[in-house]
Amino acid sequence: MNPPGSLGVLEEKEEEHLSTPILGPSIHSDNPQKRIQARRLRIAARPEGRRREVLGEYLDGKKESEEDRSKSYRQKEESRLKLAKLLLCGTELVTNIQVATDIREIHRRVEEEEIKRQRLEKLESEVKTSQDKFDEITAKWEEGKQKRIPQDLWDMLNTQQVHCAGLIEDKNKLIGELQQELKTKDDQYVKDLKKQSDDICLLLERMEEQVKNVMKTFRQELNYIEKAFEVERQELLTSTKKKWERALQAHSAKELEYLMNRIKKVEGYEKQLNKQRIWDWEDYNMIKIRLEQDVQVLEQQLQQMKATYQLNQEKLEYNCQVLKKRDEESTVIKSQQKRKINRLHDTLNNLRSKYAQQIKQFQEENQSLTSDYKRLVMQFKELQKAMRHFAVVDDKQFREIWLMNEEEAKDLMSRALDVDRIIHTHHLGLPWTAPEFWFLRNVGPLSQQPQKSATQILEEVLMQAEEEGMEETASEAESYLDLPKQISAKTTRKILMLLCDESGFLIESKLLSLLLPLEKNECYLLRLDAIFSALGIESEDDLYKLVNFFLKYRIYHSPSSQEQTSPMSALEPGEQTDLEGQEEESLVEGKPEEKEALPSPRLIHPNDVLKILEAFVMGLKKPRNSRAPVKLKYVQDNSKDSEYWEALTTVIPDTTQSLWDALYTGLEKYHSNQTKPRGPGPSLAEDGGGLQ
Amino acid sequence: MQETLATSTLSVPSRSSISTQDKFSTAGQTSSTGPRPPRHSIVPPPSKSKGWNSGTKFHQMRRTIAEDTEWSLAIVPLLTELCIQHIVKNFQNNPLLKQLLPAHQQKVLNLLSPDLPLAVTANLIDDENYWRRCCTQRWPVCHVAKHGGSWKRLFFERHLENLIKHFIPGTTDPAVILDLLPLCSNYVRRLRVDQFLPPVQLPPPPGELSDSGSDVELEEPATDHYQLRDLVAGLSHLEELDLVYGVKDCGMNFEWNLFLFTYRDCHSLAATIKACHTLKIFRLTRSKVDDDKARILIRSLLDHPALEELDLSHNLIGDRGARAAAKLLSHSHLRVLDLANNQVRAPGAQSLAHALAHNTNLTSLNLRLNCIEDEGGQALAHALQTNRCLTTLHLGGNDLSEPTATLLAQVLAVNTTLTSINLSCNHIGLDGGKQLLEGMSDNKTLLEFDLRLSDVAQESEYLIGQALCANREAARQRALNPSHFMSPVMAKGPENPAG
Repeated sequence: MNPPGSLGVLEEKEEEHLSTPILGPSIHSDNPQKRIQARRLRIAARPEGRRREVLGEYLDGKKESEEDRSKSYRQKEESRLKLAKLLLCGTELVTNIQVATDIREIHRRVEEEEIKRQRLEKLESEVKTSQDKFDEITAKWEEGKQKRIPQDLWDMLNTQQVHCAGLIEDKNKLIGELQQELKTKDDQYVKDLKKQSDDICLLLERMEEQVKNVMKTFRQELNYIEKAFEVERQELLTSTKKKWERALQAHSAKELEYLMNRIKKVEGYEKQLNKQRIWDWEDYNMIKIRLEQDVQVLEQQLQQMKATYQLNQEKLEYNCQVLKKRDEESTVIKSQQKRKINRLHDTLNNLRSKYAQQIKQFQEENQSLTSDYKRLVMQFKELQKAMRHFAVVDDKQFREIWLMNEEEAKDLMSRALDVDRIIHTHHLGLPWTAPEFWFLRNVGPLSQQPQKSATQILEEVLMQAEEEGMEETASEAESYLDLPKQISAKTTRKILMLLCDESGFLIESKLLSLLLPLEKNECYLLRLDAIFSALGIESEDDLYKLVNFFLKYRIYHSPSSQEQTSPMSALEPGEQTDLEGQEEESLVEGKPEEKEALPSPRLIHPNDVLKILEAFVMGLKKPRNSRAPVKLKYVQDNSKDSEYWEALTTVIPDTTQSLWDALYTGLEKYHSNQTKPRGPGPSLAEDGGGLQ
Repeated sequence: MQETLATSTLSVPSRSSISTQDKFSTAGQTSSTGPRPPRHSIVPPPSKSKGWNSGTKFHQMRRTIAEDTEWSLAIVPLLTELCIQHIVKNFQNNPLLKQLLPAHQQKVLNLLSPDLPLAVTANLIDDENYWRRCCTQRWPVCHVAKHGGSWKRLFFERHLENLIKHFIPGTTDPAVILDLLPLCSNYVRRLRVDQFLPPVQLPPPPGELSDSGSDVELEEPATDHYQLRDLVAGLSHLEELDLVYGVKDCGMNFEWNLFLFTYRDCHSLAATIKACHTLKIFRLTRSKVDDDKARILIRSLLDHPALEELDLSHNLIGDRGARAAAKLLSHSHLRVLDLANNQVRAPGAQSLAHALAHNTNLTSLNLRLNCIEDEGGQALAHALQTNRCLTTLHLGGNDLSEPTATLLAQVLAVNTTLTSINLSCNHIGLDGGKQLLEGMSDNKTLLEFDLRLSDVAQESEYLIGQALCANREAARQRALNPSHFMSPVMAKGPENPAG
């Protein structure tokens, strides 16, 4: 961009300019170096000029490559470079003076130093020589003092005077030289001052010139740039105008074309329109005729309609009147209704207030009734308590009476039996056997057979288990008469053990800790006790029920252990599954023995125990809820009582009685016979026959 | 227009009375044109008022004015105008300005005389136009740009400079300057005094005083100049101090002792600049400052909080002074150091180079017209290899030759901060020029490189110029601002080498 050569070239040019005005005067000065330098510079500048031309051409060539840029841009660049060059050269031109002054000053300093040195040397040598001379003179004074002859002395004084004069002259000469030098220096100073003022003038001139030049060139360049812009604008304008015209022409041509097309089209459309119009006209006529016909028909219809309309109008008027009347009536009714509504409202309000009152009243009543009810419940409870008390008392009484009566009866019976035995042994001579009846051994009321509690049973069971090794079957048969037939004591025990193991959660933790030191059986016992109390199993029956439940459960589930559609599981299907598992588990333990005893040797899984328990508890609760087991007992047992008592009466069988009767009669006869002194023999035989 | 509007507002009361009889339009109007001129002074013409009453009468109004050629509104001065005139007239006794409306203030300021005493105007008037009038009245040439663009500042600075310039110790009353102090302390930022008059001596035999140094020493206590201490202490915003202890325009009355910078002057100046913490630029040129005085001054400048530029050019500073300056470089934030035209030789330059090697503040160093020779030049070149701050270096007229050029060429290849080097008036020689050219071929930052009159071959000078051009173009591309073309190589202006 920046023509690099031109700057240096211009610098040279400036040097050339510089050398003439500045060094020109210095040629006249007595400095030979300056003159030489000035000339050298002048000579050196000449080939530069030639080279510059070459470079300029080169630059032109380079510039052409920028043709593609816009003219204004190029002009701007050119101007910028030119102005920069100008400024640089101008400043150089101005500062050249300073540089020249500097170098002159340096040269002056060098010369001055040299001159100073020479002067010093000169002075020193002068001092030496003059000192010598002075010494010589002073030495001669000594010499003169010894001179006695005035002639000699005068001569010597004369010579001394001459010497002194010489010395002084030398000094004066030196002083004169120095003064001369000073004068020349003064002259030099004045010259230098002049020179400097000239320099300053030149500098000012140059600065002014530079300012002018710069102003001029700036203005010129501005003009150039403006012109370039103008030209560019013109060009742009003409080119755009041309473009515009071309576009306009194209536009008008196209417009013409379009116009022609349009005219043609218009003509075509006109034709079509005409055709269409004729056709439409015909069409229109046809339609018109048809429509007129239609109109006639419609007018007829209209007439008819009008007639009907009139008719309807009349009807409607009539209706309207009727409606108006009705309206009036309805308004009357409305008012009536309103009044009624008001009245009803009043009544409603009254009723409401009444209702509220009644609610209050009823609430109060209700309260009183509830309190009554509570009182009654309390009374009832007390009554029940009393009843229970009385029942117990009755029971006791009954038992006591029973015992008393029984005792009496037994007494009688024993007497009868004694009598019978005596009769048999003594009178008949027959061996007597005591009759065996179930009721003979009975003591106390039948229904009040003490029910064994669950724990007792447990104890028994467990004790049984211990003795099991010795007498398995016998004990079973003996003490488990009451138990369901299919359940062996062993099974029961196993089930209970299982229960004990699995449902430890029902036992209180405190109890568990207490149980630890106890024996195994006792431990089981206590545990089961706790479990039963938790489950609500109190009586023997409940225990058996439980055992039965387990077994049944197992039996039900034996065909398909996982099946849940058993009759029991239908109630609680969720719990059933658990019970099943537990049952199975329990059976695993009791496998060897159970297998023999049970027809379906399925195992109770320990996991099922809980399920079974839950199902059992649910089942057990239901009967418990009904509170009438006590009374029922009495009712049921009364029949047995009568039976019992009946049975007591028959302790002496009819045959025996008849025997007794026969015996009696025999004995009567015998007695009578005895009393009658006649015929004991035959009677005795008879008697014997009777007895037989 | 404004005036007409104003007059019309003034005439409102009278017009309202007339507007009632406004019906007697044209007939009365034509008749009234005749006798009006004598009596129009206070009562405005009815025709005028008529125009104001309704828009329809505008044409008539215009016509009547056209007819009445003698009548003029300007004859009636406004009350405000009168007041303003009065204020202006009595401004010296009763300066009323801040209380006025802005428009009126402007009017008053335009009318105020520039000769008013400064005691009245200094702290009251801030208007640039007024001060501009003051300045142009006093001085034919005013470069307001050199005074921060403020005419007021220009006025006070030049006024103060004038006073100092013409202050004669012993005869002039110091109060002349000190009285001005409270008025100008807020505005003076620069003090440029190029003349200090010595005390007037009794007309003694003038020949005795002239040349010999012994006489000068005897007279020295009597040639002390004005002590700046009190003045500078009062100027709270002073940033630049430019002093020349010398006498201007002495003509044929030249005596050496007119240009004496005495030790007492030196001590007092040192204390002054040490106390002035706002000072940024300190110049003491053409004042015969020798090593001892330079050391005194520089010692007072050590660790100065604000000083950025120190100019001791055209003095008699030697190596010891240069060493002190080197010490100052490492004990201040100096950015520009000018020791042009002194007597610094190689040892001084070496100490400067030593300080420069690790300096991070100095951007410009000027050692023109010293005699540092190759030894000093080489030291400086070595220092520039590590320095990363200096941008301008002037070594013109230092008797440098090829060895320095060799080292400088190496520096050029490495350094990326230098933008301007001046080696003019040295004896670089042809080979040195070639080496510099080689160094330049690797440099991309140098913008100015002055090798005039330094015995360098034209060829290499030309090629260096080319490289500089390329650098400049690159810099221009970087900054997109060709301002550096404007900056001249040496903006010193004309010098007076014969000091």
